[in-house]
Amino acid sequence: MKKIRNFCIIAHIDHGKSTLADCILEETGALSKREMKNQILDDMDIERERGITIKLNAVTLNYKYNDQDYILNLIDTPGHVDFSYEVSRSLAACEGAVLVVDAAQGVEAQTLANLYLALDNGLDIIPVINKIDLPNADVEKVTKELENIGFKKEEIILTSAKKHTGIKELLEAIILRVKEPNTDISKPLQALIFDSVFDPYKGVITSVRIKNGILKVHDQIYMMNSKASYEVLDITVNTPKEEKRAELLAGEVGYVYASIKSIEDVSVGDTITLLNNKAPEPLAGYKEMKPMVYSGIYPTISSKFEDLREALGKLKLNDAALRYEPETSKALGFGFRCGFLGLLHMEIVIERIEREFGIDLIATSPSVNYEIELTSKKTMMIDSPYKMPDKSKIAKIKEPYVKCSVYTPSEYIGPIMELCQEKRGIFKNMDYLDEKRVCIVYEMPMAEILYDFFDRLKSYTKGYASFDYELIGNQESNLVKLDILLNGEVVDALSTIVHKDFAYNRGRSIVEKLRTIIPRQLFEVPIQASIGSKVIARENIKALRKNVLAKCYGGDITRKKKLLEKQKAGKKKMKQIGSIEVPSDTFIKILSTED
Amino acid sequence: MTKAVYIHIPFCKKICSYCDFCKMYYHQEYVSNYLKALETEIDKRYQGEIVDTIYIGGGTPSVLSVLQLRELFRIIKKIKKSKNIEFSFEINFDSIDEEKLVLLKENGVNRLSFGLETLSPKGQRLLNRVNKKERIKKIISKAKELGFNNINIDLIYAFPGETKEDLKKDLDFIISLDIEHISTYSLIIEEHTILYIDGVENISEDLDAEMYEYIYNRLAKEGYIHYEISNFAKNGKESRHNLCYWNNEHYYGFGLSSASYIDNTRMLNTRSINKYLKGDYLVEKEELTKEEIKEYELILGLRKKTGISKEYFIKKYGSIKELLENGFLKEDSNRIFIPENKMYLSNEIIVKILKEDV
Repeated sequence: MKKIRNFCIIAHIDHGKSTLADCILEETGALSKREMKNQILDDMDIERERGITIKLNAVTLNYKYNDQDYILNLIDTPGHVDFSYEVSRSLAACEGAVLVVDAAQGVEAQTLANLYLALDNGLDIIPVINKIDLPNADVEKVTKELENIGFKKEEIILTSAKKHTGIKELLEAIILRVKEPNTDISKPLQALIFDSVFDPYKGVITSVRIKNGILKVHDQIYMMNSKASYEVLDITVNTPKEEKRAELLAGEVGYVYASIKSIEDVSVGDTITLLNNKAPEPLAGYKEMKPMVYSGIYPTISSKFEDLREALGKLKLNDAALRYEPETSKALGFGFRCGFLGLLHMEIVIERIEREFGIDLIATSPSVNYEIELTSKKTMMIDSPYKMPDKSKIAKIKEPYVKCSVYTPSEYIGPIMELCQEKRGIFKNMDYLDEKRVCIVYEMPMAEILYDFFDRLKSYTKGYASFDYELIGNQESNLVKLDILLNGEVVDALSTIVHKDFAYNRGRSIVEKLRTIIPRQLFEVPIQASIGSKVIARENIKALRKNVLAKCYGGDITRKKKLLEKQKAGKKKMKQIGSIEVPSDTFIKILSTED
Repeated sequence: MTKAVYIHIPFCKKICSYCDFCKMYYHQEYVSNYLKALETEIDKRYQGEIVDTIYIGGGTPSVLSVLQLRELFRIIKKIKKSKNIEFSFEINFDSIDEEKLVLLKENGVNRLSFGLETLSPKGQRLLNRVNKKERIKKIISKAKELGFNNINIDLIYAFPGETKEDLKKDLDFIISLDIEHISTYSLIIEEHTILYIDGVENISEDLDAEMYEYIYNRLAKEGYIHYEISNFAKNGKESRHNLCYWNNEHYYGFGLSSASYIDNTRMLNTRSINKYLKGDYLVEKEELTKEEIKEYELILGLRKKTGISKEYFIKKYGSIKELLENGFLKEDSNRIFIPENKMYLSNEIIVKILKEDV
């Protein structure tokens, strides 16, 4: 009988999680060196390009240790702060976690965030210091940091994914220290859906972890939450080549294909059982994350609205944190109000829709969820500036605050505190991790993080600081709705909610940016920022004076037509707002601080 | 029916910094080989139509020696000409003399097109074209004396460093020559030109547009008709050859890099002299659909003062209505056209129409 170990790897972004996973694949002989594509587990284009893992991915490895056969199920997790929800999903399918720390960079914000999540889930943790081959590696220092957060020196494993050292020791630790799954093969089937994707040929594919019982091909399965039932058509595991299986036993991880027609029937976190032998109760899912950031997503071409709905549905299959509901904008037409876990999550969803579904999108300025107390004593939540009621009806506006921890080399303390202060932050605490590194804790409005906080933090600290945040509740603030007018008309998609003290500066900067982003049109276009009826900033885009092909003779004609075709294609990428053509990235660009 | 012929002579003594036409340094031996190849091409492709216009352009056709010019005209004799043919020849002031002018006249050339570009010293340095006023005057009056009564001069404006005062001086001089046709081009810095490689930047859009306004207002006062975006002519002296392009009519293009439009097919000759000499002419061939023909008609037609015919286009494109309402297009009983003060926005206007995707 083979023994099973289910584990994941958790780390701060860029600490070498994916390359370490590749090493494990190589060590267990799952893939020969020749077959190794760099970072085999990141199979989405965007993942490989950005060097981050977005979607989890499970791989089943066979390994012999002391003459005993083991099945090691490695479940990959994303490292970025936005994706802690995904991490928690992976964790629910595991008993152990390998905590990877970069030997040069040491413990970072997400190292801790992920560690705490793993501890919350009761996982066995194996601390690893990776990249010990780096010239600036400081194993001694990082060991101390790990000791400071509760590990023993002898627990720590030193690896270099690049030089392939320490990998055997790591596998040994996984086998010896990660507990066996607590399962019962004789009980009725309980399988946790921890991921699902839509495959254009096979339909919905779900990734499952069998907790109890056995799942076989041709079983009639029943989703305990959505109450849908299907026949299992195929079971596979990823080794990382696809391998068919007749069954999956308690403790195992694999992929299930059924003739699932409606994508709404599958929700990540649901429990699969058998139709004719139902388990008494579903598995405890895991903490569901609430979206923190909202944005309106609109197709550049209005007729793509239905395609966008379908794309969002398919993405939601393996991105349970994504929320969306239809909304209408006067400026942009029909679209969806979408909720995201954070800005990166938002960026990636937009990029995936554009790339995988070929729909050009416009995203409006991200917003948080505001709590509004009306004079009628009622409260309402608004996730979009459009929904802001009239000023006269508002008694109080509360906005979400986060506790924000910045890990940084001590020389950047000054600029970071200045930045946080400027972002309406309230200083809470500062801890020295060692002589050179500190953790600074602030409480600040979530909305301030959405507006250029990352960019500035990165540039102030040359990229050395890392950052994590958690929601701590709503607090009252003096907020106003800032409108932007193009050619005298309010463009609802450009409205934002800002603190009153910042409204003038924000208005000025948005208006100036719009002047540089929006190309000259056939007529002069005034751009104004206003609060209520009061205009606080104004710029003009002068009328276009010249766009002509001066010479156009014989041989030129085809070439000139091509030039016009190019201009035409460019115009098609623009969004028509009233009579004004606006580049589709305008809405995102006004958020960036770069000029 | 193809009624126009363009012949390309790709040789030059000097390379102008803005030029992206197909050209090479003048070389005796190359010229005679080239003329042989040109003759072969005409023999192969010309179908014997009687043509209304011939245009010999370049490059610099006038750099050819008297002997070579004779050879060229011998070849051109193979093309049948209508009685009232317009026969144009491009000339640079530094490669023309009385003997050549006489030769042109004897061989039926009846329209001369001179590249003057600018007289401003900084402009001449920038464009790498030096022409002296006195020589220009002398040659123009010699041409007139020989009976040429259809003369064009090319002007380039809006080059970096040019002021409105510089432009006014250039225009004053050209007007004083009392010629029939003036073409004005705002400088385009094209890729693969010396200016582009040197990183020269355009003047501001606003100054450029003001210069254009100045030009058409001034030339109107002098009795020139602004019949196409860049072209001005005394009444009846519009370039018939160029109108053939803008009316989307068929034409032959013979020689290196020249374009033809025959049987609703646009064709382009190679830019490689070696291929051309071997008789390997064609590099591109595109048969147009009915839709594309209409698109060309629109793109080209709206370059002209007279615009496009109303009935066909107004039904087809809804955006035309809006443009009419806002004054970016105008109409009379049967034509739609871009008014003079909006001609400089013609791309923008055309793209707005084409964007509709009918």
